[in-house]
Amino acid sequence: MGDDNSYDIRTILTQMREDYWLALAEEESEARETLECLVFTLGGKRYAFETHYACEVIRVPKLVRVPAVQSLIRGIFNLRGEITAAIDIRPMLGLPQPEIGPTGRILVVRGDNFATGILAEAAHGVQGLCFDSFEPVATGSGIKAPFVRGHFAVEEGSVILLDMEALLADPELVAGEL
Amino acid sequence: MANRYLEIFCREAEEHLASLQSGLLVLERNPARTDLLHELLRNAHTLKGSARMVGLADISAITHTMEEQLKGMERGERKVDAQAIDLLLRGADAVALITSALVRGEAPELDVERFVAEYERGELGQHLHAEPKEHQPEAASDTVRADVKTLDHLVNLVGELIINKKRLEAKLAQLKEIACALPAEHSAPLTTFRGELEEDVLYLDYLIQELHGKAMGLRMLPLRTISDGLERLVRDLAQQLGREVQFQIIGQAIEIDRVLLEGLKPILIHLLTNALSHGIEAPEARAAAGKPRRGTVLLSARHEGNSVLVEVRDDGRGMDPASIRAAAVARGVLDPREADGISDEEALYLTFRPGFSTAEIVTDISGRGVGMDVVKKNIERVKGSVTLASEPGSFTQVTLQLPLTLSVLDALIVACGGETFAIPTTYLQEIVKVRASEIDTLGSGEVIKVRGATTPLYSLPGMLGLPERRDAGDAPLSAVVLKHCDQRIACTVEAHLGYSEVVVKGLGKQFRNVRFLFGATILGDGNPALILNVPDLFESGRGVQRATLSADEAQAAKRRPKVLVVDDSITTRTMEQSILVSQGYAVVTAVSGEDALEKSAEEQFDLVISDVEMPGINGFELTRALRASERYRETPVIIVSSLSRDEDKRQALQAGAQAYIVKGAFDQGLLLETVQMLIG
Repeated sequence: MGDDNSYDIRTILTQMREDYWLALAEEESEARETLECLVFTLGGKRYAFETHYACEVIRVPKLVRVPAVQSLIRGIFNLRGEITAAIDIRPMLGLPQPEIGPTGRILVVRGDNFATGILAEAAHGVQGLCFDSFEPVATGSGIKAPFVRGHFAVEEGSVILLDMEALLADPELVAGEL
Repeated sequence: MANRYLEIFCREAEEHLASLQSGLLVLERNPARTDLLHELLRNAHTLKGSARMVGLADISAITHTMEEQLKGMERGERKVDAQAIDLLLRGADAVALITSALVRGEAPELDVERFVAEYERGELGQHLHAEPKEHQPEAASDTVRADVKTLDHLVNLVGELIINKKRLEAKLAQLKEIACALPAEHSAPLTTFRGELEEDVLYLDYLIQELHGKAMGLRMLPLRTISDGLERLVRDLAQQLGREVQFQIIGQAIEIDRVLLEGLKPILIHLLTNALSHGIEAPEARAAAGKPRRGTVLLSARHEGNSVLVEVRDDGRGMDPASIRAAAVARGVLDPREADGISDEEALYLTFRPGFSTAEIVTDISGRGVGMDVVKKNIERVKGSVTLASEPGSFTQVTLQLPLTLSVLDALIVACGGETFAIPTTYLQEIVKVRASEIDTLGSGEVIKVRGATTPLYSLPGMLGLPERRDAGDAPLSAVVLKHCDQRIACTVEAHLGYSEVVVKGLGKQFRNVRFLFGATILGDGNPALILNVPDLFESGRGVQRATLSADEAQAAKRRPKVLVVDDSITTRTMEQSILVSQGYAVVTAVSGEDALEKSAEEQFDLVISDVEMPGINGFELTRALRASERYRETPVIIVSSLSRDEDKRQALQAGAQAYIVKGAFDQGLLLETVQMLIG
């Protein structure tokens, strides 16, 4: 500092350290305002839930049909030795059910009682969604949207935030209870 | 051992020594209990006498000294203290040492002469630290305590190993195919390599089997762990009820998987309670009937093949088939006509029917049966089966057959509805081939003869609500004959894929109420296969069958519209039948056009549903034939076919059919709608 001609390694290092801490602080303050979410496509729309519900995202393996259960349980698959269900939650959300193609993925999520696989048309990875752009579902707005907490208005359009706690606790997911 | 009497002596000595040992230990804790001395004296005295008889002077001398010491205690001349008891225990140990050496035909590891001499003088033989004493602390330090969860986890991991080994085996087979496809110069080294790999996998297989055996062994517990409390239960119950009962347990050492054992205890409590409250008569009644006043209840366990048989037998009044039938009719479990039709043996099993014993009065009528359906349910849960045997006035015997473990099962793998299922072999009687001509109808169901016995026939995919692979024309169907308690059913499947040992995996909480399934396993290709819960199939089968058997329903059936279902595919027949029956229609099935004409001549149907392509006359010809007859001129006919061309539809309508449903888009809503539209 001061004398530009001198090459003071200490000054440079100090400067670098300050820059580093500053950047960290900025990142942190930004992090406070975003929600880490797994973003994916259901019924042609973009949906998301908090990453802490997600265990992993896998390609759709061979699904074995289970007799005498509700249609939303599309089958079971072998997840490294654990028998896991693949469920199609789109009817629960009132969505159309376009075929799950090659981009299809299974989002393995863990609820209080069991782990289960949610079929999605595509997965778009983990994104930090900004709270500033979040609009909660207005209570009493008349629009009934089950299992939805609200949506984020982001550049690419809207991302709907699912209420995973309510969804995973729904008895409709449990075979044979209907 | 040369002398046969020696053998007998050694066995007798073992018993006396054991009771000496335990008695002395009690006495050591409570020196005031001099009442024990008498029994101890008797033991020592008997041993002395027997040893003399077979000429074992050393044992006779030792036990004589012991007897003298005990007598001294009884007379109060000798103090009952730790030292005196220790001396007696040393004596017992020495006798044990000598007899066990005799059994092995070796010289005892003890200077017997010197010991006898010292012992008579009341000295503690210093050199008798021999076997028994040394062994015990060592054995104790050889065991560790382990958490049950850790054991379960271990067993699961071994299960994973087995699955992985199966995948390796599947890969080996693939490698063979790859080698075959290569030119000879490349395939030779590959074949050699494959051979070596195969050996490695074989050895791995051996190791895994050993490991599995050991891991399972860790989870095994002897029956004794649950039977101890049962003695007390029987004793208390007998007192409450004013019965005199001798309770015997045989096979306490038989080991069973801990998980199964937990499930077994409530069942045994139930059965023993039944045996005492409904089986064993009051002492006076027994005496009057010429039986010993004291009744006997026997609980026994033994191995048989890959399972454990547990029996509860009492020599009480037995089960009376006549009063069970009467009770069943009174409860509405079955109608009088049906009751007359069943054998005495079958009648016993009526006690397992739900609803048989909901009220206490039933116990007065039938003499047995408090919640036997609960017993059956619990046994099914652990994949076991129950058989009953009884003779009125003499005995009742309930036999439970349990698998050794629930974590690995022997199963038959079958293809059904495009999926693969495993059927536990405990329920499998045999595999049969069925030709269409061998299928008869009985009531609304279909039956075949298996070894002369009329057996209901169902389609497995139909029962499970799965789609069917097209039947290959006239070829015989594959069917599995399943047994459960006294019942048999036959289920058609697409193919048998062989027997396999399968590792059972739970389906998790998401499937806790699922029907038809017991669990899943993972096959060699890494894909899961579902394991069928066979008793559910029997429930499902009975539901369909009983619809026409009960009196009320038979009455209702007279008012119900009758439908004739004609199809050469058993899956389609079963599916259509169950859809229609569930909506209150009475259904009769026919396996061909000819069969349909015959049946339609016997009784009047309100509606006919027919396939098109069948061996013999086809659906169009059948429709035309029906239209030509006086009785069926106006009867609606629905054609259900996989042919979807307009030409076929036109032909159907020309033949006189009222509706045409394409099988590809077959859904029950459409069928029902059409049926309701035509006949209401």
